[in-house]
Amino acid sequence: MLVQLAWRNLWRNRRRTLITLAALVLGVMGIVTLQSYRESAFAQMVESITTQLVGHIQVHGRGYQEAPEVGTVVADPITVEATVRDVLPGVRSERRVLGAGLVGTRDTAAGAMVLGVQQGGRSFTVTKGRGLDDAAAAPAPAVLGVDLAAQLGVDVGGEVVLVGQASDGSVANDRYLVTGLADAGTFELNATAVFLRLADAQSFFGLGDGVHQVVLRLPTDDEDVATQLAATRAALDLKALEALSWNEMLPELQSTIRVKRQGQHSIDVIVFLIVGLGVLNAMTMAVFERTREIGVMLALGTRPRRMLALIVTEAVLQGVLGLAIGLALAAALLYGAGSVNLGDLASGDVMGIRFPSHVTLRLPMSAVVSATVTIVVTMFVGGLLPAVRAARLVPVDAMRAR
Amino acid sequence: MLADALSIWGSTVRPVVVALFIAAALALAWPSRAAPVAAEVPPCPSAQDAPDVAKLVERTEALLEGRTSTAVMVMTIQTPQWKRTLKLQTWSKGDDYALIRVIEGGPRETGMMTLKREKQLWNWLPRAARVMKLPSGMLGDSWMGSDFTNDDLVRGNSMAKDFDATVTGTVLVQGRKAWAISLRPKPSAAVVWGRVELVIDRATCLPLEQRFFDEEDKLARRLELSDVKKVGWRDFPARMTIHPAEPGRSTSIYYEDIAFDVDIPDDTFSLHRLQQGR
Repeated sequence: MLVQLAWRNLWRNRRRTLITLAALVLGVMGIVTLQSYRESAFAQMVESITTQLVGHIQVHGRGYQEAPEVGTVVADPITVEATVRDVLPGVRSERRVLGAGLVGTRDTAAGAMVLGVQQGGRSFTVTKGRGLDDAAAAPAPAVLGVDLAAQLGVDVGGEVVLVGQASDGSVANDRYLVTGLADAGTFELNATAVFLRLADAQSFFGLGDGVHQVVLRLPTDDEDVATQLAATRAALDLKALEALSWNEMLPELQSTIRVKRQGQHSIDVIVFLIVGLGVLNAMTMAVFERTREIGVMLALGTRPRRMLALIVTEAVLQGVLGLAIGLALAAALLYGAGSVNLGDLASGDVMGIRFPSHVTLRLPMSAVVSATVTIVVTMFVGGLLPAVRAARLVPVDAMRAR
Repeated sequence: MLADALSIWGSTVRPVVVALFIAAALALAWPSRAAPVAAEVPPCPSAQDAPDVAKLVERTEALLEGRTSTAVMVMTIQTPQWKRTLKLQTWSKGDDYALIRVIEGGPRETGMMTLKREKQLWNWLPRAARVMKLPSGMLGDSWMGSDFTNDDLVRGNSMAKDFDATVTGTVLVQGRKAWAISLRPKPSAAVVWGRVELVIDRATCLPLEQRFFDEEDKLARRLELSDVKKVGWRDFPARMTIHPAEPGRSTSIYYEDIAFDVDIPDDTFSLHRLQQGR
C-alpha cells in the first residue's frame, strides 16, 4: 500500500523523476565501470604475477630474501616439491636459478639477470625464435629479454658470452647461442634477463642440484594465500629454508594497490554526494509542490510517521530503480565490450610490474555491493530531510499554502 | 627500482668479475710514470719528525714505480662464504698498459686474462673462448662495494697529485715507528674518497698502511703493506692486503716474484693477441 502510493507519486511528475533517475543511473554506471576496470586490471596484475614470474609462494634457502647470495640455495628442491605437493593439493611448482652476471659480445656488455628455468616453465613469453626447447647441444641455448638484445645488438642466431661469479667464488664464464627473444613481463627484466635451461644455469653457477627458488602456483584466483603459506611453512624445515607469499615478496605492489583502492573509494563518495544532493533537491521540490496535498492527507488522519515513511520510500524506490538500471547497463557495457585495450594511454607500471593495457573486463562483486550500499544510504539520507519536513507540517498551515 | 621491489631479483645486477680485482691490484702496485734509478731517489728523511710531506709521498711513489714490470703473485680472496687462491702472472708498462693472466685457479678460470689498454678493459674468457669488453659504465662504478675500486684500476693512485698532505704525528704500526699522514683531496681532484690516512715507515720511507674514508668520513677500506723484500736496489712490500668495511672479507696479494724495468714485447698488450687467447 505504501510502496504503491510512493510508486504512483513518483510518476506524477514524470519528467523530474526521469531526470533524477538519469543522474542515478549515470552515477552508478560511472562508478561500477571505473571500479570494474581498476579491479580487473589489479586482478590481472596479481594473476600475471602469481601465474608467471613470482608465483603465489616461493621457497628459498634461508636468508635469500634478505640477502640474495648465489650460494644461498634450496639444496634438495625435488624433496621440497614433493613435500609441498602433499600439503597443497593441485599446486604446480617450478625450480629456478637466479644470479647476476655480465652478458656481452666482443665489443659491448651489460649487466644481466641470469635465470635458469625449467623446460615448459612460465617465466617468459617468447616473442621471436624458438625459446630454450630442443636446441642444439653446444653452445647451450639462451633466451634474451627483448630490450637487452637490442642493447647488445644481437638477434636470434647470434652468440653471447656470460660472465659471473659461481657459488664457490670462481669466475663462471661460458658462451651461449641466442635461440630466442622474450617478453619477461617487466621493463627491468626485459632489459636485463638472460634465460638459460635450468641445468645449464646450475652448472654455470656451480650449484649442483641446488636452486634459488622453488616457485609455487596455487589453483586459486584468490589474492590472499595466507592459509596455504602457513601450511607450506609447517611442512618445511625452516632452519634451512624460507617460504614467502607473493605479497611478502612485493610489499610495495600490495600497498600501491591498497592506496589506489582507497582513492577509488573517495571518488565513489564524491560522486554519490553529488547524486545525493540532486535527490535531496528533487525530493524537496516534490514535497514543496505537494504541500497542500500533504496537509489534506495529514488532516484526514495520516500519521506523521507514515508520511515520513512515504516520502523516504519514494526516494529509496528511485534509488533501487536507478541502481537496477545502472547496474544492468554497466554489466551490458562491460560484458558487451568484453575487454578494453587502452594501449599507450594506460602504459605505466607499478613497481616495475606493467599495468595491463589490455584489460578483460569483469563485473566484480565488490563493485556491485559498494554501489548498492552507497546508493541506498544516499537515497535514504537524501529523502529523509524532506520527509521530516513533510511529517512536521501543520495541516491547517499546509492547506492554506498557495 | 624493481631490483629492490621484486625481492627475487634482490641482488642488484652487480657482476662479479674477479679479474677486475687482479687488474686493480696491478694498477695499485705500479702507478708508474718515470723510471727512477737508485741515485735519483733522495735519501729517506728518517730523523725528521715533520718532513716535507709532498716530497715524502712523491719519494714513496717513486720507490714503488717502474717503467715496466713483470710479476708472479698469489691472490687470496676471503669472504664469509668462501676462500680461494689464484696464482697470477702480470705484465705492465707505464700507467696505460697491463695484462694479467690466471696461471693457477679454478678449472674454468685458469688461462683467463684481463687486458688494460689506456682506460679500457677486456677479458679473455677461457671457457667461452671469447674476448669481452667491459662496459664503460662499469669502469666508473665502485667495485661491488668491495676490496678494490674501478678508480684504482683506470687511474692509478697519484696521491701526490690529487691530495694535500700533512704529517699529523708519529705512530707505532706493525711494531715500527711511522709518520701518520693525513691526505685531503684537492678541490679540483676527482677522487672518490673523502680523505685518506697514510702511514709511512720512518726507517724505510715505505708505506705500511692506508685507510680510505668515504665522504661521510666512515672507514671504507684499509690497505696493509708488509713483508718488505729487496728487489734490485728497491725495498718492496711483497704483501698487500685490502680489508673492506664489510666484515669477514679481505683480499691479499703476495708477490712471489717481481722485476722492474724489464723489456716487454709490445704485442703483449695487443687486443689481437688477446683474442687468440695467447
